[in-house]
Amino acid sequence: MSEFDTLASYLSVAPEIGLTILLLIVLAFSVARREVERAAVPYIAGFGMIALAALPLIFAPGDANSTIPEGLYWGGMIRYDVLAQVFRVMILLAGGITALMASGVRGVGRRGEFYIVIIVATLGMSLMSASADLVMVFVALETTSIPLYILAAFKRDDTRSAESGIKYFLFGSFASAIMLYGLSLLYGFTGQTNIYQLAAFMGSDAFANNLVPVLASMVLVVVGFGFKVSAVPFHFWTPDVYEGAPTPVTGYVSVASKAASFALLVRFFVAVYPETLALSGESLQNFWIQLMAVFAVLSMTLGNVLALSQKNIKRLLAYSSIAQAGYTLIGVAAIQSQELSIASVGFYMFMYTFTNLAAFTVVILFSEATGSETIADLAGLNRRSPWLALAMTIALLSLAGIPPTAGFFGKFFVFNAAVRSGLTWLAVVGVLNAIVALYYYLVVIKVMYVDRSEDEDKPIPVGRQYVWVLWATSLIVIVLGTVGAQTVYDWAARGAMGLFT
Amino acid sequence: MVSLWVYLVLAAALFSIGAFGVLARRNAIAILMGVELMLNAVNINLVAFWRFVRPDGGSENMFGQVFTVFVFVVAAAEVAVGLAIIISVYRSKRSVIAEEVDLLKW
Amino acid sequence: MVALSEFAPIGAMLLLAIVVGLLLLFISRILGPNKPTERKSAPYESGMKPIGPGTRRLPVRFYLIAVLFILFDIEVIFFLPWAVVFRKLGLFALVEMFIFIIILLVGYFYAWRKGALEWE
Repeated sequence: MSEFDTLASYLSVAPEIGLTILLLIVLAFSVARREVERAAVPYIAGFGMIALAALPLIFAPGDANSTIPEGLYWGGMIRYDVLAQVFRVMILLAGGITALMASGVRGVGRRGEFYIVIIVATLGMSLMSASADLVMVFVALETTSIPLYILAAFKRDDTRSAESGIKYFLFGSFASAIMLYGLSLLYGFTGQTNIYQLAAFMGSDAFANNLVPVLASMVLVVVGFGFKVSAVPFHFWTPDVYEGAPTPVTGYVSVASKAASFALLVRFFVAVYPETLALSGESLQNFWIQLMAVFAVLSMTLGNVLALSQKNIKRLLAYSSIAQAGYTLIGVAAIQSQELSIASVGFYMFMYTFTNLAAFTVVILFSEATGSETIADLAGLNRRSPWLALAMTIALLSLAGIPPTAGFFGKFFVFNAAVRSGLTWLAVVGVLNAIVALYYYLVVIKVMYVDRSEDEDKPIPVGRQYVWVLWATSLIVIVLGTVGAQTVYDWAARGAMGLFT
Repeated sequence: MVSLWVYLVLAAALFSIGAFGVLARRNAIAILMGVELMLNAVNINLVAFWRFVRPDGGSENMFGQVFTVFVFVVAAAEVAVGLAIIISVYRSKRSVIAEEVDLLKW
Repeated sequence: MVALSEFAPIGAMLLLAIVVGLLLLFISRILGPNKPTERKSAPYESGMKPIGPGTRRLPVRFYLIAVLFILFDIEVIFFLPWAVVFRKLGLFALVEMFIFIIILLVGYFYAWRKGALEWE
């Protein structure tokens, strides 16, 4: 641990400090007496978070001579590196977009608390992407989860929302308690809480026979992460919560919370159970590679198969998000290809964030205008609002992994990493799953473009902020699928390299 | 002196009771209490480990104690939010039985 | 450093718990007679007939106050470690604690402004 460097320490948590200040501003505005000031809350929150996304880029982590050298800060609580930077940018943008997305939703958009809670959740996720200490890991996870429970139950007059909230809460708190038990065991093995010091203690000779307790701690921790990324078999909550929660919240949970969890997952497992750590002659890394590979196969297959029969678009996207978590887990399982693996996870989450947000924006606009979330009701969308249909098509093609959208490169990098680390069979399962998934994404596109409906002369009203969101997300998806792919991938790869040093 | 394993067994037992409560009880409030038991089991673990396992042996290393403080602050926040959600479900459904909350089916 | 033997009892405990739990369920299912009568299933109140429902209702206002109390009360715990290391950190710790208290106060005023502290 380096000497306490005040300036660098504060700059390493600049986005979190910014979010706290933004939170206080939004809090003040949301209880303002004048209606005009209260109406400004969504925009302050939304553009505030988007502006804060610039902070990690301005105060970039650098080498030892720069203002903020890459490394541990705040007594080892935070590790600020390029990986944290990548995920912070993505999480802050997702938070900002979600705030803008929510502004026109009935029962949510006009209530200032909603934006306060979104900002707190974003704060937690931002911390998750940089946590380097068991205490920080737990606090960041809960700072993320608790606001998300509130958000899921946010529509008080809507029974489905309350129900989704209680399910999310009960499953979530159970999973985090199990994970916490695992963390407490890790502390007990070593007497240390910094995740970068655990491996050294567990690797010492005195510990060489303790394979079983260490494995137990790993399994307990995996339960928590599995829940957060909604990997099968910890996915039970996903469809219910996604369907019942207010749609902007669904979008937010499906991207930002998943991205932050993957950031923490790769950091945690690479640091705590590294390749070099072997107990009783068994490499611990092999164990979690196998676990992740199994979860990846289960998540992809079950997610895609169950998505085939869905009638509700939010449920379809819920199962699709389980499958997407599966593809990302391939990237995690391919850890033996070193930075290829983590870079592919970073890129996949980056592109998935914007893709899914675009899809959910269209769902919000459609259900606000028509009150329906049924896929069949999307019929004739192309004739009603061609731009909306186009944005949805881009998003769905990207989820399916068709060029020239970002999803193609996302899958390509993940499968590439799997092949390079000798998991060709996993890549093959992934490709087969992508083919199955293509079917249900194309069905939605077909409904929008081919099927006719009686409401074709009624265009869907699109608010100004939604036009911005849709343009921005669609453009990012296209750019990441063409010229921007290499840039973002290289950025994520630099972040990945930082994890192994 | 009481040795470490006694505390660990106590914590493991408490954790198992809590987990059993979560899985077996149908009342959402009882499930919440189960989760609280699990968190308290973790606290016992942490404090016991802190007392017995300190690599440098000095009084400087307070990780376990600090961790415990954070765990129960977070647990309090979790209970506050959880009870609020349960109340809001009760208002709309007149029931806190987890199985009767079944509008959304998988 | 911990020896393996420290963890072995947890495993034994788990195994024992599972076996005993299953065994008890199994035995009571087989051996126990099950003849419920009205008197048997009534709640016990010192031999008296129960009056009214056991779960009496309290005004929901208590609940809101209780939740706010828990939240603000538990934050005080952070003063303890702070006080322990205060002399070592000096001015820095003082400033940090003031920031912490200010954020808490903002939350408090927010609750106040929203009417959460009104009894009616």
